[in-house]
Amino acid sequence: MLLVRDVLDKQLLDRQGHKMGKVDGVVLEYGTDGPPRVLYLEVGAVTLAHRLGARVGRWASHLAQRLARVHHESYRIPWTRVRKVNLEVTVDEAVEETRVNVLEDWLRQNVVERIPGSGP
Amino acid sequence: MKRILEIALGIITGIGGFLEAGSLATAVQAGADFRFELIWAIVLGAACLAFLVEMSGRLAAISKHTVADAVRERFGFRFYLIAIIIMQLVMLLVLAAELGGVAIALQLVSGVSYRWWTIPVALVAWVLLWRGTFGLIEKGVSVLGLVTLAFVVGALQLHPPLDDVARGALPHLPSGDAAHYWFLAVSILGASISPYLFAFYAAGAVEDRWDVSHLNINRVTAGFGMGFGGIVAIGALVTAGIVFHPAGIEVKSYEQLPVLLTTALGDWGFPLFVASLGIACFGAAQEIALTSGYMLAQGLGWQWSENLQPAEDARFSLSYTVMIALATIPALAGVDILKLTNISMVFSAASLPIVVGPMLIIMNDKRYLREYGNGWFSNTMVALIIALAFVLAIVSVPLLLKGG
Amino acid sequence: MSAHEVHLERLIGRKVHDVNGKPVGRIEDVLAERADLECVVQEFHLGPYAMLERLSVRISRLLLGRKHEPIRVRWDCLDLSDREHPVMRRGA
Repeated sequence: MLLVRDVLDKQLLDRQGHKMGKVDGVVLEYGTDGPPRVLYLEVGAVTLAHRLGARVGRWASHLAQRLARVHHESYRIPWTRVRKVNLEVTVDEAVEETRVNVLEDWLRQNVVERIPGSGP
Repeated sequence: MKRILEIALGIITGIGGFLEAGSLATAVQAGADFRFELIWAIVLGAACLAFLVEMSGRLAAISKHTVADAVRERFGFRFYLIAIIIMQLVMLLVLAAELGGVAIALQLVSGVSYRWWTIPVALVAWVLLWRGTFGLIEKGVSVLGLVTLAFVVGALQLHPPLDDVARGALPHLPSGDAAHYWFLAVSILGASISPYLFAFYAAGAVEDRWDVSHLNINRVTAGFGMGFGGIVAIGALVTAGIVFHPAGIEVKSYEQLPVLLTTALGDWGFPLFVASLGIACFGAAQEIALTSGYMLAQGLGWQWSENLQPAEDARFSLSYTVMIALATIPALAGVDILKLTNISMVFSAASLPIVVGPMLIIMNDKRYLREYGNGWFSNTMVALIIALAFVLAIVSVPLLLKGG
Repeated sequence: MSAHEVHLERLIGRKVHDVNGKPVGRIEDVLAERADLECVVQEFHLGPYAMLERLSVRISRLLLGRKHEPIRVRWDCLDLSDREHPVMRRGA
């Protein structure tokens, strides 16, 4: 398995096949001995910002801290929860239980639901 | 039986959806300035579009992923970011031209300036997206769009010399102002091969849950749909060639255009023209707004579907909302809609390489397409289209400055 | 020495040099093996052919021959102590 070709930037699906964003980052752990292992997959705008450069990453981090207060870091999924890697990466989580949709939920509650005709 | 209906709907969508502000404006200007000499550009544009549409439909049916998905997944975030920024800017320009086109149609009917119509038009377009489903919009756009066939009927009523028309369908060098000729050729190609069209088509294939069994429908829809759509644009060009060219009339604004159909079709001409302009531009506006949301959602991995309620895909719904709101600005500010249309077509042409280039790699990726990937023929076509796209990208802006 | 984290997505594209300062190639991909619930890194793939591999572009070996393969660097041969300037060392 090639980590960039098969994992990075690929669509994440939860247990029920719901979309959970794309894999924005892959965190490796270099231990005291032995080869490095994949520790987490990361999903989040701050991770994406870091890919554009260290300065952009730091600016995005500060901005996220100021806006979100509590959950400002990217969401991390431990590799142990990865079930399948084919065209998408399926993980053993439920999207409602994750923080992945913080922006989606905030926009829904504070903007979309205030506009008539938006919901069931 | 169901398959036949699907094919019919697909072809109707192609016909009804082909003509919009860009293809109408460029076809009419080409007819007025060069009579039938630029028909080949429409033929070439429709053919390229047919190939690209077939490929993006095949990609969506087999892999359930769209072109925007694949660009992020194969080429990474940095490349996707550049591509999406360019695409959103171009789509914003084209959307502004489409909203302007609908507003002008209403101005022709009511006498009230298009600037006043801009916000009501945008609002109606938005409400239909907010409350509607994908099927509703797709069927509405396609069936109502058939009114644009008035241009084909009109062209035939004027009895164009068919051998001249046929000669125009073959590529040849200009007899007059070369810079202006090539500028119009590039604009026609930019109007025909609109990236948002095949991005919308792929998203539609996913929304409609296409699979392997739809591959033949896909081929027929792409070929005949885009083919007949091109004929509608040719109808507009021929009509302008007969009505405007002999009199040496230059097309400077949309207000001159109703006479094309009143000359050909008499009293019915005016309402048919207004309906064609308004419906064609309105349909295109809906597609572009949706596509801008789709491309953002697909590249960033959001949940997306027009079949969901806005509360279920908040980011997607808000993206197209913001897009529509921003696109009202040029028309509200009183920008000349015909000039805006011409400029948006040129930038659309210039942005082609970044969308079409990746297709060559994606369509050969067995992980996406399994055994349904491109054969040597399709690959050759893509390579030629990419070469054409690069030529267009390089010459388009200089030609706009010199011959526009 | 304690464990430390490396962000793969910031590593790709970085130019790797050897101990003498000669350029080797850019990091394009990472070969890893799954074992139970773990995923262990085996090699780093460098150079333009690694990029083609990452893009799933298959160029027939018959056409180009054996020379045109990705540059494969075993995990313990890549020194990442300076993340911005990785260095390829001989086997550990």
